[in-house]
Amino acid sequence: METQTTPREVRLPLEAAPRPRTDPQPILKSLTVVTVPAAPPVGFWRRNRTIILFAILLVAVDFAIGAFASLWQRHSPDDYAMKVAGCARSPRDLVFVGGSPVAEGIDPDRIAGSTWHGRRLDSVYAMGLSGGTTSDFYHAIRRACPTPPKVLIYGITASDLNDGRNEPHGPYSLWSWGDMARWVRLRPEAREWGVRHFLLARMGQASNLFRYRHGIRMWAAYMVDESLPRSCPEAMREADELRERADRLLSGNGYAPARGFSVGNYVAVKAAGLAPDRFPYLAHYRTGGHVKYLHLLIDWCEANHVELILMDMPVTADLERIHAAEFAEYRTRLIEIEKTRNVRVIHVSRDMVGLTDNDFADLIHMNLNGARKFSDWLKPMISRDPAGSAPS
Amino acid sequence: MIFATKAFYIFLPTVLLLYHMLRRRTYKYRVLLAASWLFYSWLSPQYLWVILACTIIDYFAGIRIEGRDDDRGRRRWLAVSIAANLGLLFAFKYIGFAYDNAVSLANLCGMGVHDRTWSILLPIGISFHTFQGISYTVDVYRRQIKAVRSFLDYALFVSFFPQLAAGPIVRAAEFLPQMTAPPRVSAKQVADGLHFFLLGLFKKVFIADQLDLLFVAPVFANPGDFDPAAQRWACLAWAAQIYCDFSGYSDMAVGCAKWFGFELPRNFNFPYLAVSIADFWRRWHLSLSTWLRDYLYFPLGGSQRVALRTYINLMIVFVMCGLWHGATWAWLVYGFYNGALMSFHRIWDRAATGYPMLDAVRSSWIWKLTSWACTFWLVTVGLILIRMPSWNAGGILFRSLLGFDYLETWSRAIPIWVPMLLAVGLVGHAFSGLRSKVCGVLDLPSFARAGVYVGAVVLLVTLSPGVGRTFIYLVF
Repeated sequence: METQTTPREVRLPLEAAPRPRTDPQPILKSLTVVTVPAAPPVGFWRRNRTIILFAILLVAVDFAIGAFASLWQRHSPDDYAMKVAGCARSPRDLVFVGGSPVAEGIDPDRIAGSTWHGRRLDSVYAMGLSGGTTSDFYHAIRRACPTPPKVLIYGITASDLNDGRNEPHGPYSLWSWGDMARWVRLRPEAREWGVRHFLLARMGQASNLFRYRHGIRMWAAYMVDESLPRSCPEAMREADELRERADRLLSGNGYAPARGFSVGNYVAVKAAGLAPDRFPYLAHYRTGGHVKYLHLLIDWCEANHVELILMDMPVTADLERIHAAEFAEYRTRLIEIEKTRNVRVIHVSRDMVGLTDNDFADLIHMNLNGARKFSDWLKPMISRDPAGSAPS
Repeated sequence: MIFATKAFYIFLPTVLLLYHMLRRRTYKYRVLLAASWLFYSWLSPQYLWVILACTIIDYFAGIRIEGRDDDRGRRRWLAVSIAANLGLLFAFKYIGFAYDNAVSLANLCGMGVHDRTWSILLPIGISFHTFQGISYTVDVYRRQIKAVRSFLDYALFVSFFPQLAAGPIVRAAEFLPQMTAPPRVSAKQVADGLHFFLLGLFKKVFIADQLDLLFVAPVFANPGDFDPAAQRWACLAWAAQIYCDFSGYSDMAVGCAKWFGFELPRNFNFPYLAVSIADFWRRWHLSLSTWLRDYLYFPLGGSQRVALRTYINLMIVFVMCGLWHGATWAWLVYGFYNGALMSFHRIWDRAATGYPMLDAVRSSWIWKLTSWACTFWLVTVGLILIRMPSWNAGGILFRSLLGFDYLETWSRAIPIWVPMLLAVGLVGHAFSGLRSKVCGVLDLPSFARAGVYVGAVVLLVTLSPGVGRTFIYLVF
């Protein structure tokens, strides 16, 4: 082996003095200059192989994780994406869209078989996107209905139109670049929010490891629980619920009520003194921005010859009392839409359905019993002649 | 913006990119200084003037000290620098504490003074950068280093963002010579930087934050709700948490600095392997303990005078060490506690050294193991002082460590993850510390090293808590 002997200067750093010294030791004087033979030149690969191998392995691991995407999705389903994909899987006769009141309150199996202008509505899908706003529902419908349904029922409520809030899940799961551009144009006041969340979502989705991190965590909880039973009970409970939910979303009609809401009872909540005095989704209430997307939804229905019904979802009396001003503004908006766009609006009251506080899990979400009652009431309502008999 | 936050993961690559794109040394350092001030402003925007004031005063004081030939003038400028740094430190950190105690004293005398309704927000990193400033002017005064002529260089030494918020406390003699060399980053520094950054992040996010979330915070908040076995485990977990939190920050700082071509000193040397309390302080927060040694203990006379004076000096140093961490009675007691332990250790060491039989016993492995266990127990008792929510709660936790009332080692209240995370920390400690290595992973072949790093990234991304917690030492 050839050894290079060209000398070079090596500067040794000053060692920290253990005791204060009285003799002057300026920095430059403290540097000792010695001459040692230079090391043979080292190639780029050899010098940087740890970093290069790290990058290669990281990419390989990321691809490997991506190969098991369905496994991670099964342990941490993306509600929005899975419901949109589930709805788009086959042509639908009737689609329900809305927020968590729709997700918890409408059981499509109980509604399937109703008729519309003499046509049977067999394929029914409930696309309840918890936490969503009208803007999100517009984006969801465009993706979820490549074949337009015969009827689209939007189970609307006051929080859907609240410009005081936006749902980051929308940009994450439902937006395309075009949707972001439209948002910037239509919602200048929330431009920064939309762009930031959309770009963060796109960056997050670039890595499978990051994208499926929660699914991997839930899968790991399952694996650990199998080996060491009851070692991580809280994570296991969450993993179990998410897996059950994913199974229902993958195979079903969009109806996958959350465990907590299914068995909850608002009367018991009130009796325990736990009833909230505010509903955060109605905080800072103002309307206008999301209403623009309601108009876009109406335009889309008109262009695709879809019958659109806006169904004012029933909520507890307490919620309407606590947020009376917010509900008043919301209903004024509904009336404006009904008049200006000639859209059919069904104002569903609790009394019409026979809902009581016992049928709700909290201020706004129906429990399993409420969902049954409401869905059973809805089926004949849809079948009735829309011209006169539906209450409005 | 602190390490282990989303904002930092955008900030750091941006600064690195800019830094390495620029060719000239001055441009690079300007970018780094601007980034450091931005980093500081992000954390304490209203207090940017504090670090600027300290920088300007110490910079000019250094030049004046060097420029004067007469001792009186030199001392005067040194006094200006020390007074400015300690004055600001006192104003922000100790006024509230001093006021509270004055009020208590006045009320004891029946004067009926009201408690304060105001509070002072502490500027980030003030305890660290003021000590750096003092060390610089003292070193210039002692003629150990030359005063820095470039304000840019000096400002960067004070504000260098990786170590700005929570140390290590870097000496001018360690940092400034690195600035005279061309700012080049070697491949080894890049790889080692990745190592230390990931190591620190793993310690902080995976071990410290998880332990706090799962167990330490609930037990320390209400220790009476848990049985003594759980309390004991919580004390152990707290010892692991504070080490992983603080040394994690230091490791990340060392890693970041390497990516800019700078070497920062190590701040920890496997402290929980210490076999005496003196050994512990030679391994824990090295930059602070050596600072206190060089700028307080030695000027006080160190151990060169009579024995009693040495013990008084030790006590002063450790009380100051306690107070440096926080202006509370608990920290003061922590300082006294460590000062007393150090004094007792010194007395014992002096008394027991020089007897051949005793020396042979003391060098045996069983003695070392016993010493290690005793030291660890004493350190853990001290750590209770700085986390306990009240003296009563501290008493409960201390009784659990005595172990007289309940000798069970396990309890249903302990999540299985707690011993597992402690085991990870212990294995990491032993893997390198017992072999006197900086870190055993650095000696692995490249492929294995890369595999370890990828494994760490996977664990960090998937199993760490979603929301990072603030570093404990950021409030000091």
